[in-house]
Amino acid sequence: MNEGPIIEVRDLVKVYGKGDKQTRAVDGISFDVAPGELFGFLGPNGAGKTTTIRVLATLLAPTSGSVRVAGIDVMHDPHEVRKRLGLALQTAALDAFSTGRETLELAGRLHRLPSAEVRRRADELLELMTLTKVANKLTGTYSGGMKRRLDLASALMHKPQLLILDEPTEGLDPQSRTALWEELERINRAGTTLLLTTHYMEEADRLCRRLSIIDNGKIVVDGSPTELKQTVGADTVVLEVEQPEGDGVVERVRGRLEGLVEAEAVAAHPQGVSLSVANAGAAIPALLRRLEGDSVQITGLHMSQPSLDDVFMKYTGRSIREEAADQYIVLGW
Amino acid sequence: MTALAYETYHLGLRTTKRFMRVPANYISILFFPLVQLLIFSQLFQQIVQLPGFEGQSSYLAYLAPGQVVFAAFMAVAWSGFGLLVEYRTGYMDKLRALPTRRWSILAAEMVPLFFQAAAMSGILLLIAVLLGTTIVTGIVGFVLIMALAGLFGLAFAGLSFVPALLTKSEQATSTFSLLLFPVVFMSTAFVPAEVMPDWMRIINDWNPITYLIEAMRAIMTTGYDWPLIGRAVGSLAVVGVFGQILTIWAFGRLAR
Repeated sequence: MNEGPIIEVRDLVKVYGKGDKQTRAVDGISFDVAPGELFGFLGPNGAGKTTTIRVLATLLAPTSGSVRVAGIDVMHDPHEVRKRLGLALQTAALDAFSTGRETLELAGRLHRLPSAEVRRRADELLELMTLTKVANKLTGTYSGGMKRRLDLASALMHKPQLLILDEPTEGLDPQSRTALWEELERINRAGTTLLLTTHYMEEADRLCRRLSIIDNGKIVVDGSPTELKQTVGADTVVLEVEQPEGDGVVERVRGRLEGLVEAEAVAAHPQGVSLSVANAGAAIPALLRRLEGDSVQITGLHMSQPSLDDVFMKYTGRSIREEAADQYIVLGW
Repeated sequence: MTALAYETYHLGLRTTKRFMRVPANYISILFFPLVQLLIFSQLFQQIVQLPGFEGQSSYLAYLAPGQVVFAAFMAVAWSGFGLLVEYRTGYMDKLRALPTRRWSILAAEMVPLFFQAAAMSGILLLIAVLLGTTIVTGIVGFVLIMALAGLFGLAFAGLSFVPALLTKSEQATSTFSLLLFPVVFMSTAFVPAEVMPDWMRIINDWNPITYLIEAMRAIMTTGYDWPLIGRAVGSLAVVGVFGQILTIWAFGRLAR
């Protein structure tokens, strides 16, 4: 087994077009993904995520830079790279006139699995993805969620070391989305490295153990969702009290928390008092112990963390939600 | 080489099913040649009395080989569509990301066309026989005609694939296929060269479709005319090599 990173990207640049019409879709990206990671690219449409994925999946030649998958250069030996990866693209493109089983069996055959193994593995994955009932129906009759699951199953036929997913839950209803997340986590726990792209904050936050925020073809920042959110600032804890306007509540809280929370971090809030605390989850028990007694009547408490949207805002100056809607469609003649 | 054959076989089974599972495919392929065979053979019954039709028992018998070729022509006229649709939906990317040679993806589109064109022509020829056309060379001749129709399919497929791959547009591809219809009409499918106007006779002299029809007609009415069969195969080879080279070039450009 290869002990180094499963993905190794150095100074990847992809330029589309010529002359004045050039676009630098990917503008000098470098990153590593270690075996077993669940790694994500978060960014708006057009940020360069899909282009990066396509280079990794041997579908697109980079303009410059080096890309290695499992230690193999994608330009030098794409065939060996393809044997090791499973790919599910944005649209879950399937052959509408093949059945679910045929789709899986074709993937198995092309991965050169022996016949018995092809059948066994197809049965297993159909069962796993709850597609057994529709296995012999044409994929053209499947719902969006079923197509995604079949697409994922076909990417898993040969037990790839690396699974690459481009916007895996785009266009899915919330229920199917949650189910797919759980499936992806299970696949990752079983040892498959996952690389996915998304422009959904919740998805990146819930699913990725580590992520890179990508914008305008560059990696802006990377880290775990928690680390990234901590770079934006501390968490907010709101202590709700009986009479928020009551005299000196803020001062009393400030006094009680002296030495634990900075004086400036304690402020008035419409419902009571707000505290700005790093890693609030861990700090709350100590805070509450200090506040015990009769000088402050706490009736409720809630806390909030900065969101990944705040992180995106901090590093790019824009909100990812505004960007997501803008997308060009290119038509042929 | 064995890898290419293995991949072409498995991918080709898929493209064949894609064709077979949509009845509209073969209905639209057979409709025109069948209508022409049934209606024209009645409408122009008396035409066989014109000079040039010597040796023909009926207009139906004269019409049959031309419509057999027409069926093969229809079978491949829109053959580039499947690949185009799969390029657009992203399915082709999926295939390319599997450990396959990209040429097997193209071969899996092409090789089944031989069988599709042969099968479609075979059905039409069978109907013609049931209606009373005879084939003097019998069952062997029947199979040879199907094989020639299959070769025609392979040779002419490029005329659908090249515009499909270059324009990536269904509309442009179907328009281009329609433009080829006159090439069939200006062959000896409907009348012998003797009754054509001079200018059309010059076109006809260079029309590979005529060469093929005449070879088939000989197999049906007089026997194996090897010089005619050779000329038909030779002209199909020229069209085919030219068409396939352009197709390979256009496909390579698309799937770089």
